[in-house]
Order: sequence, then C-alpha cells, then structure tokens
Amino acid sequence: MKQFGKILSFELKYFFKNKVFVGVTLLIVAVLTVVMFFPRISDAIGTEEGGQPQELPVMLVKAPEEGGGELMLEIFSALFTDYQVHLTEESDEQVKGSIAEGKVACAFVMTSPTSYVYYVETLSMYDMNTEIAGEALKQVYQMSAMMNGGMTLEDATAIMNMQIDGRVENLGKNQAENFFYTYIMIFALYMVILLYGQMVATNVATEKSSRAMELLITSAKPASMMFGKVIASCLAGLIQLITIFGSALLLYQLNRSYWGGNMIMESIFNIPPELLVYMLVFFMLGFLTYAFMFGAVGSTASKLEDINTSVMPITMLFVAGFMVVMMGIGSGDVETPLMVACSYIPFTSPMAMFTRIAMSTVPLYEILISIAILAASTAGIGILAAKIYRVGVLLYGKPPKISTILKTILK
Amino acid sequence: MKLELKNIHKSFGEKQVLTGVTFTAEGGKAFGLLGRNGAGKTTSIRILMDVFPADSGQVLLDGKPMDYRKVGIGYLPEERGLYPKKIILDQLVYFAELKGMTRKDAIAAVDHWLERLGMAEYRNKRLDTLSKGNQQKIQLVTALAHNPDIVILDEPFSGLDPVNAMLLKDVVKEQIALGKIVLFSSHQMSYIEEFCDHIAILNHGKVALAGDLRQIKHDYPRDRLVIRCDAPEKIMAEYGDACKATENGDLLLQLASPGDKQAVMAHLVQTYDVDEVKVFEPSLNDIFVEYAGKEI
Repeated sequence: MKQFGKILSFELKYFFKNKVFVGVTLLIVAVLTVVMFFPRISDAIGTEEGGQPQELPVMLVKAPEEGGGELMLEIFSALFTDYQVHLTEESDEQVKGSIAEGKVACAFVMTSPTSYVYYVETLSMYDMNTEIAGEALKQVYQMSAMMNGGMTLEDATAIMNMQIDGRVENLGKNQAENFFYTYIMIFALYMVILLYGQMVATNVATEKSSRAMELLITSAKPASMMFGKVIASCLAGLIQLITIFGSALLLYQLNRSYWGGNMIMESIFNIPPELLVYMLVFFMLGFLTYAFMFGAVGSTASKLEDINTSVMPITMLFVAGFMVVMMGIGSGDVETPLMVACSYIPFTSPMAMFTRIAMSTVPLYEILISIAILAASTAGIGILAAKIYRVGVLLYGKPPKISTILKTILK
Repeated sequence: MKLELKNIHKSFGEKQVLTGVTFTAEGGKAFGLLGRNGAGKTTSIRILMDVFPADSGQVLLDGKPMDYRKVGIGYLPEERGLYPKKIILDQLVYFAELKGMTRKDAIAAVDHWLERLGMAEYRNKRLDTLSKGNQQKIQLVTALAHNPDIVILDEPFSGLDPVNAMLLKDVVKEQIALGKIVLFSSHQMSYIEEFCDHIAILNHGKVALAGDLRQIKHDYPRDRLVIRCDAPEKIMAEYGDACKATENGDLLLQLASPGDKQAVMAHLVQTYDVDEVKVFEPSLNDIFVEYAGKEI
C-alpha cells in the first residue's frame, strides 16, 4: 500500500510537471475565457462606438403590378427581423445594380401575386429567405383574398394569426434540453479515455524500452505499479476535466447576463447534479477499465513503435462503442435494443448507460446493475492486467501472443 | 549472513531455464555468478529477488526462507536505465522510497552517495544530460542508497573509465567490509578474481562448477610447471613435446605425474639459468572457458 502511494504520487507529479499537460489545460481554459467573455467584450465595444445598434442589411421588396405593396411590407417586415425591409419601384436592373454595389443585401421582385424572383449576391448554404418569403406570400395572398371577399384587414389578420393553445407535460427527460450536455460529456469521456489510455500504454512501454523497468520491477510489486500508474492517470484526467468544466462554469456565471439566456449555454450549464455524479462514476470506472487494458498491452511492447499496433484492438473496441452511442444520440432513440445491450457490457456501458440516463428514463435498478457489472469487471480486468504486466515487462523482442501470456499467467 | 539458493528449477513454457541450481554466498565476502549469455544468471538473480517464483527449490537466508519485507536488496541490472527526462534527485529518492525509506532519509542517503561518487553537482540535472559512465554511477546509487543487506551487481564495471572503475572498486570493498553479501555477475574475469572468494559457473541452467575460487584453482591437477627464463630453447630441447612456449614467452612443461614436481623443479633450477619456476594454476578465464563452454 505504501509503495502504491509512492508510485501514485510520483506518477501524478509527472503529469503536473509535464509542460504539454499543463500547457494544453491552460490553453483550453484561455480559449474558454475568450469565448465566455466574447458577448461582454462585444457589448463593451458596441457601447464605446456610441451605443448604436449595428445597422441591419437592406432587403428590397417590389410589389406586383396588381398592388398590395403596403400589406407585403408589413408582413415581410414582421417576418424578416434581421433586415430593413423597403418597398421599391426600381427596375430589375437597378435592383441588381444596388445588390452588386453592396447597398442592398437581397431583393424579392414579384412578377405576379404568386411568383417572384429572388436576387442575392452570394446564396448562403443557410439562406432560408425563400422559404420564409414563400410563407409570407401565401399569407399575403390569403389575406388579399379575404379582404376582396369583404373582410376588414383586422378580421383577416385575426384569422391568420389565430393562436392555438397547447401544453406539453414531459413525464421523463427533455431530449432537446439534454442533447448538448450529453453530447459534450460523452465526447469528453471519449477524448479523455483514449488520450490518457494511450498515455498509460506509452508510459509503460517507455519504462520498458529505457530499461528503467529492470529496476522498477525489482523495487515494487507489479500490482502496485500497475494500479499506481493507472489511478494516477485517472486522477490527472479527472483533475483536467474538472479544471476545464469548472473554469467554463465559473466564466459562464461571470458573464451569464451577457449571454442573454442562450439556449445551448443554459442547457450545458444546467446539468442536474445527480447526472454529474453518474458522470463521475462512469468516468472513473470506464477510464480504469480501458487504462488497465492499455497498461497491460503497453507492457508487452518492447519498443515505442510497437504501441500503436498493440493498442489498436482496444482502440477499435472503444471507438465502436462510441459510434453506437453517437448514433443513438443523433437519432434521439437511446432505447434501442443495441443501446440497452451496450449499457450492460463493461466496455461500452460507461458511455451507453450514461447516455440513456441523460436522455431517457432508466429505472434505478438497471443503473445499479450496470454499475455493479462495470465495477466487478474493472476489478477483474485490473487484476488480470497486473498479471499480464508482471509477465509482459520482462519479455523483450517480438510482442508475445495473448495465448502465450495467458498460459504463463495461469501456470 | 548466509544466502543459499537450493535446487532451484525454473522453466518458461517448454523451455527449461534453470535445473537444480544451488549455490551459497556469505556475508563479508563477494560471490561471483558466472556463465555465458543465456546460461541462467539473470533468471537466478530475479528468483533471488522474488521478481518471479521458482517452479521448485528454495531461497534461504541463514537457513530460513527469505523474508523480503525484512531483507534489503540492492540491484544494479546489466541493462542500465532510469528515467532519462527526469531530475536525478527526484528519481533516486523515488527508488529509495520504494525500497521503504522515508523521504527525509532517502534524500540524505542519496546526497551521501552522490557526494561519495563525485556526482553531487548533477543532483538537480536531468539524467540524459550525463555521459554514459556518469549515468552508470547514478544507477549505482539506486542499488546502494537504501543500505541493502544484499548487493547484486550485474556487470558493474562495463562502460567505466579506469578512474571510475577504481572508485567503484573502493565502493565494493567498503560494502564487503560492512559484512554485506555482494553478488557479482560479470564477464570481466579479472574483476571477479580480484573480489570474489566464491564462484558458481552456470552452463545451460545448471551449476557446472561452484565453490571457493582458491580451492578450485588448487584442486586442478598440479602436473604442469610454468618456467620463465632467458634461453628456453635448451629446456624445450630436453623435454621435447612436453614443453611448449606460451603467448607471453614463458614455458609450460607437462609432467608425467604430479609426484615428479619437486624433482623436476630442482633439476631445472640446478641445470638452467631460470628466473622463476612455479606450479601452473589456471586463471579464472581458463576455468570459465573450460566449464562454461562445455556442452552438457
């Protein structure tokens, strides 16, 4: 136990003295600081420049010969709030010239009450103006028809703007709200497990190739070494995650009013506390499961060059689990038989069960069964990994076959 | 203190690596564990250090199974290596702490040994900034800092210049004088002859020869004489094929039987102008070649 403590603190110090580790963490926090302060800075700059709101781009609307220009202006102005909408009498050529000169952003030139030409300098991938205009023109057409039938403008507007009252009572989770933080957390879990797992494997292989292992193996028990290294990496990963997410939360709280209740931000930073606890449990167990496997595989490689090939099966297994979970999140259906099965398999359950908890309603007993299976597997994999490590670190040359190692362990 | 390896057997898969290895090393004396590459020296050392267990056999200290929690072992492996990118003091203290020392004691011991080996100025430097010889001295600190009862040195002199080799010799002599069990494994026979009272030669995982080195030499048939003289031709003419010149110019005379020794020596001294006549004793190198090279 004493040796384990020494190894743990030595390995942990290695992370905190590692310039890349510290540098990457600080860089991410710096980027987050810029992002979180951006609305505040942008607001301050806007105020310094005279507090004038930014001028909106101009949209021209040319009414058809049949008339109805005033009604069109009213409806277009209501729908295109990102534009200053003006009526125009200019010819098509003049309109195109104004767009080319940059005075006007775009223009709708009506050729009849039900057809138009949309002029724009560069059609953006996300330009929805034609869809909006289509709806607007339908509205104009319907209102004109109603008014031609003898209705007043007020009556026609009241009919068109009739509001239907509805109420949603969500008995489980709201996926629209949970999507962003689930996505971010799964992605963080994926990145940390893969990066730190690789780091454990490389660390072990480096000790072996530099022959420091010759001395280590005679100074400490293999189980202490394996557990010390892996748990130190796990703690380093956790500290890094807490630093990054903690800074982000703090920075957001400082700038909350400037974000104006941004839906994505509110969703990310309003994670229910019990979900954070589940995140912590699944992160720790998932990390340990994979880090033990990475460490065991690292011990069988004699050279650093062998690491990438050796860890590939583990990486593939992890990536496959990640893909299944991502597809579940993307489709919104996280209760498929595959996802349910994955939430009990120890190699995929840290991501799959967490996703189900976050985006669906999972009975507590299912969660507890999943955690129990994962915890037992983690312990089993840890013990097996320490045994592989004890044999692997003394084998040099061509990486041994799994069957050879297992035979040696079982002997 | 008496360390015994008794009838140790070990195999890896189908390969039998050690077969009935038995030898004894005593405190206050150096023991030489010899053998060609792959003879089983490192496996014996690893079993002795409890890195892995033997299939059968025992490791005893003073007649009792070794209690590794109580006995300190210092090891200088043949394959040198520490953490090249880490600060020397940090890693030496780490290894001393792993051996059970408190941090305070570990720092004091490491500083003592760095001073003793003339490496104090490198205390806060990274290991990879040092020359190979100096890195080896740093590694020696890991073997000695925790004041072990048993010191195992695998090829300790390789890569050292004559000055550093002399320094290491002094350190080894100090350790022997302190009553520790010093176990040497080396292919440099001159060092083994200089330090070791007892040896064991391994060949294909078996002990081919073990015992007191002086006695081993003495037990060789005393039926050859080494003659140093200025005019060897006359002696060679008298004894014919029984007398041959060696590489260093001495003559080696094969006697018909060891009992002729006194008479032949007297005859040589009286008849020829000889500078020296003595009974031939094999060097450790000769013994090693004879026993380690045998196909058994």
